[in-house]
Amino acid sequence: MPTVSSGSTESIDIFFNARSVAIYGASASQNSVGQAIIQNFIKPQYTGKVYAVNPKYNQVLGVPCYPTLQEIEEDVELVVVAVPARITPRVFEDIAAKGIKAAIIISGGFSETGPVGAELEDEVVTIAQKHGIRVIGPNCVGVVDTHSHIDTFFLPEYRCGRPRPSNVANISLVSQSGAFAAAISDWTAELGLGISKLISLGNKCDIDDDDLLSYLADDSTTQVICYYTEGYDELKGRTFFDTAKKVTPYKPILVVKSGKGSKARAAASSHTGSLAGSDRIADAAYEQSGVIRVDNFEHMFDAAKALAMQPAAKGDRVLMITNGGGLGVMTTDALEALNLAIPSPSEELNKRLHERLPAYCAVGNPIDVVGDTDASRYDAVFKEAIESGEYDMFVVGMLLQTPSLGMDITNVIANYQRMSGLPFVVVSMGGAFTTKAGEIMELMGVPTYATGEKAALAAEALAKYGEIKYGDKFNKTLVSDKP
Amino acid sequence: MNRVRNLGEVWLEMKEAKKIFKTALAEGRTFVLEHEAKDIMRAYGIPIPPYSAATTADEAVAKARGIGFPVVLKILSKDILHKSDAGGVKINLRSEGEVRKAFNEIIENAKNYGREKGIDVDLSRGVFVSDFADMGTEIIVGVTKDPQFGHALMVGLGGIFVEVLKDVSFRLIPFTESDAREMLKELKAYKILEGIRGEAPRDVDALVKIMLSVSKMVEENPEITELDCNPTFVYKVGEGALVVDARILIDNPSKKA
Repeated sequence: MPTVSSGSTESIDIFFNARSVAIYGASASQNSVGQAIIQNFIKPQYTGKVYAVNPKYNQVLGVPCYPTLQEIEEDVELVVVAVPARITPRVFEDIAAKGIKAAIIISGGFSETGPVGAELEDEVVTIAQKHGIRVIGPNCVGVVDTHSHIDTFFLPEYRCGRPRPSNVANISLVSQSGAFAAAISDWTAELGLGISKLISLGNKCDIDDDDLLSYLADDSTTQVICYYTEGYDELKGRTFFDTAKKVTPYKPILVVKSGKGSKARAAASSHTGSLAGSDRIADAAYEQSGVIRVDNFEHMFDAAKALAMQPAAKGDRVLMITNGGGLGVMTTDALEALNLAIPSPSEELNKRLHERLPAYCAVGNPIDVVGDTDASRYDAVFKEAIESGEYDMFVVGMLLQTPSLGMDITNVIANYQRMSGLPFVVVSMGGAFTTKAGEIMELMGVPTYATGEKAALAAEALAKYGEIKYGDKFNKTLVSDKP
Repeated sequence: MNRVRNLGEVWLEMKEAKKIFKTALAEGRTFVLEHEAKDIMRAYGIPIPPYSAATTADEAVAKARGIGFPVVLKILSKDILHKSDAGGVKINLRSEGEVRKAFNEIIENAKNYGREKGIDVDLSRGVFVSDFADMGTEIIVGVTKDPQFGHALMVGLGGIFVEVLKDVSFRLIPFTESDAREMLKELKAYKILEGIRGEAPRDVDALVKIMLSVSKMVEENPEITELDCNPTFVYKVGEGALVVDARILIDNPSKKA
């Protein structure tokens, strides 16, 4: 894997792998930020050392508490700062004196509040820069790492679930908004989506989108990088673009960007200036650097799941196979609307399929193996269609309401996916049983969706990323309506 | 496309542009005059109609004769950014008599404009004389400087496509030739460039070349904040393209903190 970054990723790694953490502002009062954070670190999953810092206590929840960092005898690798903004400069002097190189400032009250807060933030940045301390925040919820169990989210787990890593593939999310980072933590925990890292950036006084992109690009536990951003600081959009261009050929990046309106351009005196607006430029930058922009989080995680679990498509030809006609038509409609090709089988393939399927199956695209099927008809279709080389991707409708279709279908799908190396996407529509079946399918590495439309969006993402990854080598058969 | 240029050539192009920007800033302008913009365009190998400048009616007539009729006359003054508003543009001038009359009118209009605005309009540069280009497919090529992403180039078909439909596409500068072609294909009006209803296809290669040259110009002269090549006429395949009107705005470094 190519390395994008310079030495700076080492300084960022400590935020996710610190073996000793101090909570500055740890508190004995219930429901306080300082208590919620220390609670995360006394869970048995976190196997590093934890220290509390607060002159008011000798211990917090059984964790030894010190008046300053300098009084801790052992080394500390990471400090989580949860103290009022006005005393953070003093805290940073303490951090510098202890020789710690990484700090997350959870507290708000900085540049987001106005000039006085901005001055405080500058003061902190000056101390940090002088002593080589890397900073996440302020005004953020910090990080969750599902492998090391570093977790600075000050939201109790019964209110805000924490996602888990998957053995198959994992997604990491960088969010400008702390509230979204928390909501996504809770939501992906519920979905059972494999997550490696969640990072809330807040005011980005030091570490920004671009630093994390370099880090996550080289992170072997992250297969897809997701961003929520509201905009970039001056010319930071440009550096993000420059880094993204190097990353996208080997790791997919998805972005949800809000703030589509434009205001800054109103005063532009040229024609071009008045037509531009930052959001259109952002769109162009994403397109040019191979970053996939999506409209919302639902779409983002549907796409990210497919991109994490499956190889990129090498072309746009999709075969839909289903045991229910309606699902087949709905799904191919959705695929068509997303500009994917749905070619019918060639005469040769058609003949072979007819030989192997009962006469009442409908051979075309979609191929309907009908309601009384078991896994063997899917098996026959996969084998012939893969051998024909006529398709780049498979969307499989797996309606499990019919008892004739056994759970062995999941093995058949997973095996053909692995053997062919072609991307597969499954639709498993229904209630409790099918949801469970979908989970099993995903444990086998094939992303599964509740509707044909969601599966089609996933297929589109696999094709879109294929185009980014393979460039001119991507087999684009569908010519759009342009002559 | 030849991306490798000899160093001397690069230096000459940049030197031309830098010299012009220096003059503009010295005069307190953040825009360059039409003949200056065209000089920069020419230095970067961007096709433009033959042009010259004239400070008297006699000179305008002589220059027009050299260029060949019909011609266009435009006011050249550091005090006038929007030339049409000041009655400073006369097009499709077909004879020596028309040129002479137009010259005098433009100068008169400029003086009136100055009186209305209460300024003493500088007329020392006279007028810009240029070939009146044959109508081609109207394109706008422009550059803007975004606060987050920096310089980006825009392209779109002129007239209603830009004005009403906002049918334009963008790429950050610099970009590749294939980016440039993709940008054009993103336009809803792309079919017009490919030739519809029996019209011959347009010289897309020539347009792509202009886009890449503008990209290079901005890359080498980042003080450019905004630029419009509007209109740019694109002719039939093999017949090229021309930047008919060019506007360049630059950053004033002394305004910065």
